[in-house]
Amino acid sequence: MTWRSKTPLALAAAALVAALSAAPLAAQALKASDTARLRYTAASGSVLIEQGRASGTLPGTMHARFSIGATFSGSFTIYAVGGSISGHGAATPKGSGVYESFSGSLNVTGGSGRYRRARGRARLYGTFDRADYALVVQTVGTLYY
Amino acid sequence: MPASALAPAVLALVTLGLAGPPSAGAQTVATLSAHFTPLQLGGRTTLDFGFAFSAPAREVPPPLTEVQLRYPGNLGIGLSGLGLAQCSPQALEASGPSGCPADSVMGYGVAYTGIVLGTTPVAEDAPITVFRAPDQQGHLALLFNAEGVAPVQTRIVFPGLLLPAPSPFGGLVSIGIPLVPTLPGAPYISVIHLRATIGPQRVTYYERVGGVTLAYKPRGILLPGGCPRSGFPFAARFGFADGSFSSAQTNIACPDPRRHRRARPRR
Repeated sequence: MTWRSKTPLALAAAALVAALSAAPLAAQALKASDTARLRYTAASGSVLIEQGRASGTLPGTMHARFSIGATFSGSFTIYAVGGSISGHGAATPKGSGVYESFSGSLNVTGGSGRYRRARGRARLYGTFDRADYALVVQTVGTLYY
Repeated sequence: MPASALAPAVLALVTLGLAGPPSAGAQTVATLSAHFTPLQLGGRTTLDFGFAFSAPAREVPPPLTEVQLRYPGNLGIGLSGLGLAQCSPQALEASGPSGCPADSVMGYGVAYTGIVLGTTPVAEDAPITVFRAPDQQGHLALLFNAEGVAPVQTRIVFPGLLLPAPSPFGGLVSIGIPLVPTLPGAPYISVIHLRATIGPQRVTYYERVGGVTLAYKPRGILLPGGCPRSGFPFAARFGFADGSFSSAQTNIACPDPRRHRRARPRR
C-alpha cells in the first residue's frame, strides 16, 4: 500500500475519531424552569440543611446546604429520574418580615447517571420563611448534559 | 441628625473656662470585648460586644467617626428571628424609638461619652437601641439610636451596614458615627466606651395568632455545633475625626467541653 492510498483511509479514521471525541461536547440543551419547596432539616451556626421536592422540567428530590448571611450561598443536588444534578449558587436577600425574598444565580457543575456531564447556569428567585426556615426556590436557565 | 440642646449643667461648666480639644497626636489605644450569653455550642445566644478608648489623664479620645466590627464566620444571625420588621431613618428621627415597630429592635446598649470643657472632663452615658433598617444596595442595614439626657441633652441616629468580610470572619458591621456638636467653639462629643447587644436579651416581639396579639422572645443567634480552634474571632477598626485610626481584636474562648456536655439536655 502506497502512502497515497493510505491517506484517504487515515483521513477517514481521523475524522471518525474526531467525531466520536466530539460527541460528548455535542450536549443536549434543556431549557429548564423548576420550583423547589424545601423544609428545614438541620442547622448549625449560619448553615442550614434542607430537603424537599422540585417540580417542573426536572422533577425530583432536592437536598441543599447553604449559609444564611449577608448573602445566601450554598450547594444543592437534585435527584431526578436517570441521575442527579449538582451545583452551587448565591443570592442576595432583600426586604424584611417573616418572608424574606432573594434573587441570584446558580451554576450546575456536575451530576451522575444521564446527567454526569451536566453543566449550566440559571437565575434563581425565592422566599425564605424566617419563622420555620422553609425555602421556596424558582430557577430558570439552560442545562447542558 | 436631630438638633442637640445643652443642659444647664454644661452651660455652667463652659462659662468657667474655655473648651479644650480632645487628645491629639498620641495614638488612641482601643480595646475590644465580646461575649456570648449563654455560650452553648449549637444553642441560641445574644452577642454582647463593647469597645473602649484610652486617653491621657484629663483628656478624652478624639471623636469617633467610624467603626468596622468583624464578627466570626458561621454565626446564625440570619436565623435569629431578629429584625422581622424595619424602622426607617425618617420614623426614628421624627418620633424616636417609639416610632419604630417593636419587631425591628435587634438589641440594646449604652455609650459612655465625654468632652473636656475648659480643663474639666464631663462624662455622660447615652442608652442605645439597635434597629433593623431598610436594606441598602442588597446589604442588611441597621440604625443606632443614642439618647443622652445630662449634661448634654442630645439624640443621634447613625447607620450600620452588614458587609461581607474575608475568612475567618463571617461579615462586618460598618458603622458611621456623626460628629455631635455641643457649643460653638467647644469640642465634639467623644465616645469613651460603648457596649451593645445583638440578640433576644431584653427584646420582646409580638405576633398575631387567631386575632390575639402575643408577646414572645426572638430565638437568638444560632451558634455552630463546633468551636473554631482558637475561639470565635472578633476584630475592629476605629476611625477618628482627627484622621487617626486604631484597631483591636479579641476572641471568645471555646466553652469547656466538660461543662458543655453537662449543659446538654438529656433525652
